Amino acid sequence: MRKQGGGLAWALVGPTLLLLVAFNVFPLLWNVLLSFTNAELVGEGARSVGGANYARIFDDPLFAAALRRTALFVFVAVALELVIGFVLALALKRDFKGKPVVLTTLLVPMMLSPAVMGLYWSLILNGNYGLLNQVLGALGFGQPQWLTDRDLKFWSILLIDVWTWTPFMMLIALAGLASIPQSLYEAAAIDRASTWTTFRRITLPMCAPLLGLAVLFRATDALKQFDLVMAITGPNDGGTQTLSALLYQVVFRDGKVGLGSAYAILVLVVVMALATVFTRYVERMRGAEASA
Amino acid sequence: MKVVRVLVLVVGFCCAAVPLAWMALSSIKDRADTIHAHPKVLPVPGTPAGDDSIAFAPTLSSWAELAEVHAGAQASFWSHLGNSVIIGILSTLCSVALGTACAYGFSRFRVPGASDWLFFVLSTRFMPPLAVVVPVLLMYRELDLQGTHLGLVLLYTVFNLSLSVWLMKGFLDEIPRAFEEAALVDGYTRMQAFVRVVLPEARTGMAVTAVFCLISAWNEYGFAMTLNSSDAVTVPAYFAGLAGNIEGMPWPQVAAGALVFVAPIVVFTVLVRRHLLRGMTFGTIKQ
Repeated sequence: MRKQGGGLAWALVGPTLLLLVAFNVFPLLWNVLLSFTNAELVGEGARSVGGANYARIFDDPLFAAALRRTALFVFVAVALELVIGFVLALALKRDFKGKPVVLTTLLVPMMLSPAVMGLYWSLILNGNYGLLNQVLGALGFGQPQWLTDRDLKFWSILLIDVWTWTPFMMLIALAGLASIPQSLYEAAAIDRASTWTTFRRITLPMCAPLLGLAVLFRATDALKQFDLVMAITGPNDGGTQTLSALLYQVVFRDGKVGLGSAYAILVLVVVMALATVFTRYVERMRGAEASA
Repeated sequence: MKVVRVLVLVVGFCCAAVPLAWMALSSIKDRADTIHAHPKVLPVPGTPAGDDSIAFAPTLSSWAELAEVHAGAQASFWSHLGNSVIIGILSTLCSVALGTACAYGFSRFRVPGASDWLFFVLSTRFMPPLAVVVPVLLMYRELDLQGTHLGLVLLYTVFNLSLSVWLMKGFLDEIPRAFEEAALVDGYTRMQAFVRVVLPEARTGMAVTAVFCLISAWNEYGFAMTLNSSDAVTVPAYFAGLAGNIEGMPWPQVAAGALVFVAPIVVFTVLVRRHLLRGMTFGTIKQ
């Protein structure tokens, strides 16, 4: 009973699509226009400057540094989240008493506001009175300045991100593990496959498609890392400035809207490239599901 | 193997739970106890101030001070929480209503280019907020929406549409068409069938979708901070504003406030735990 659309169908989907165009597509196009001007946050009279903003960015050491830092962040954070999440999922595979409580507790961090938790983490990570250093001290380890040490603060932010998003990977890994038919393991047991072989030949490849989806999901998010950087160091810190933080600094602190818009467009191109890979991936997975 | 498994779970559990437990403890401390050189773990009434043991005297003063206006902010925590509640609830209602209608259209009618439209909707989820915030800001200046509740409600409504459309599409697809067909045969109009037959069946889906929309609006920071400086500042932006506090961070109040702020989210997480996978992946993965 899939009816030809007509008026009712458009009346149902129309408002949503219109709003998305008004608040996403339209501002985006506007942003492209702004990126070719010298517009400022305050004051009128923006002039066209052609491609000067883009030319400037490619010579800008700050942009290059932020780009490298963001890439490192995405790569390391997502990899850690994937590995730890997968290990946790493996540990949770079998049933045990109290599993629902443990599982739900493990999932909570990803639901909490990074901005609020970031601020709160700066209490735990404080070098002088933070809980982490007190525990480390009691165990006889060194007590680094997590938040102020030039080389460390980037990694502290990354660890908070790992704390927040590992549950997400764990959740998806659990779904992947649950989808593996028990019969495969039984067959492996008959063949006397070692634990390692079973893991490498059955568990890992069967989970891979879902984990791939999770990695893409996380990567596009991590690429936009902003909240934690703001909470821990602010946007203008030479050790932690990610692309989003740089963009914020340029637009809202320096007031250079034109230049900031050019940054935004470049960031967007990268994000959208990843997002396209993601949607293709979803389409392919759905196609495989439908034909299976 | 079993030892490793238990160890992994214990460590993981502690990593997730200890920061939250510490938050609760910090909220009943004196400021001096939150920044004490020794960890203050044990609430013991009557512990003298400046004591070097792990005991501290619990106090509820930080909870009372949530009503105070701190340096770096313009209103008390409660008033900002009020903003979060209003903006969160209104935008959630709008998102779920629009998203359900839209998802129903895509689920039951042949809309030309449906698949492309759906992926367009999904792609808006990946848009970096900072890539659209400047034009939105300029637009809001023209429309006098800057710093208003309505401005953020609108923005979060749109921001959550990708989530609500995709989640609701999944839930609606699972409702057998036979239900509506029977209703149509009984003389209902399409709209009546939707409202009286489909919507009641989709209650769970709508509740789950609402929870995820609410959480996403509740936690949002980028827009909240850039579009607002006064009237409609939500809690995440308020907390961020405290970070530059010259009097030093009021840690017990931050802990108490953060606890109030995250407690409903923890409750919601428990309530929707069966649907977490769906919600977090926009329905692209189903259990």
